[in-house]
Amino acid sequence: MELEDIVIEGSHKNFFTPSVNFNAKTGICELSGESFLEDTQEFYKPLIDWLDEYTSKIKKPIAFIIKLTYFNTSTSRCILDLLNVLKDYEDDGGDVTVNWHYDENDSDMEEDIEDYMIDTGLNINIIPF
Amino acid sequence: MEKIDDKYDFSLYEYHNLLHQNILVSYKGPIDERIMTVIGDNIEIVTNDGNDKARSKIFKIFMELAQNVWLYSAESCTTSSGRRLGMGTLVIGEFGDSYTFVTGNVVRNSDIEPVIEKCEIINSLDRESLREYRREQRRLAKDGHNKNSGNIGLIQVALTAESPLDIELTPVSDEESFFSIAVKIKKSAAK
Repeated sequence: MELEDIVIEGSHKNFFTPSVNFNAKTGICELSGESFLEDTQEFYKPLIDWLDEYTSKIKKPIAFIIKLTYFNTSTSRCILDLLNVLKDYEDDGGDVTVNWHYDENDSDMEEDIEDYMIDTGLNINIIPF
Repeated sequence: MEKIDDKYDFSLYEYHNLLHQNILVSYKGPIDERIMTVIGDNIEIVTNDGNDKARSKIFKIFMELAQNVWLYSAESCTTSSGRRLGMGTLVIGEFGDSYTFVTGNVVRNSDIEPVIEKCEIINSLDRESLREYRREQRRLAKDGHNKNSGNIGLIQVALTAESPLDIELTPVSDEESFFSIAVKIKKSAAK
């Protein structure tokens, strides 16, 4: 069975849902907006499963793009899980690019991205906007 | 027009004056995502003396601390659909060149010891060690359990505020105390 794309339109209403666009054909996966969710695990589990599937079956290059302007701490754990899947794929010989865009005024975010690099061992391109 | 007979001993005018001095936003009651979104969005409007960084910092700190009250307050109410909402007090004040954000809620004395210890550890660490501590706690946070996210939340708050967590515990009975956390954010946040 083919791996279906994940497309979720973000919203800023009561909870904040991030926008998700995971494309199985191009390998471009984007996560953007704000993340503050009723059930963080429930939201991120399918994304982690999708990456597992892509990296174990499709095995093409993957470009992971993060443009989150806000995420809460329970989201921060799920981001670590997503990045760990990518790191495992890279260790297996997969072609992985991670571009993490952040507001240039938000140096707390920049520090946090650096910490994700230390934690995962992944090379993350830190791109201010 | 008839006055309310059993009006309790409370002057709204005095209450207003008390708040009027330095307080930008104050809320007491049950906390859920709607309250958080509304107040979170209003923070942008009321903190217009601060620079963009300060506003963004207060917003992030507010989101973490309000969430802690919602999830961990010992005082709660239940909605008609059965959701448990923690109750507490949130105050954003403005004092000279900084904002102060304070949250408070009732806690069980038997539960609060580890939280206080956590705050003391956080206050004893410099920025580099705090970042290391956040990385460690994030690794330890188990999938499917948010138990640890409250811990990461407090570290996150201290890192964002660039100031210590000012905690206060006031006993209200043998079993319970009122626990508050205050943090200060400079209006001209440089980070």
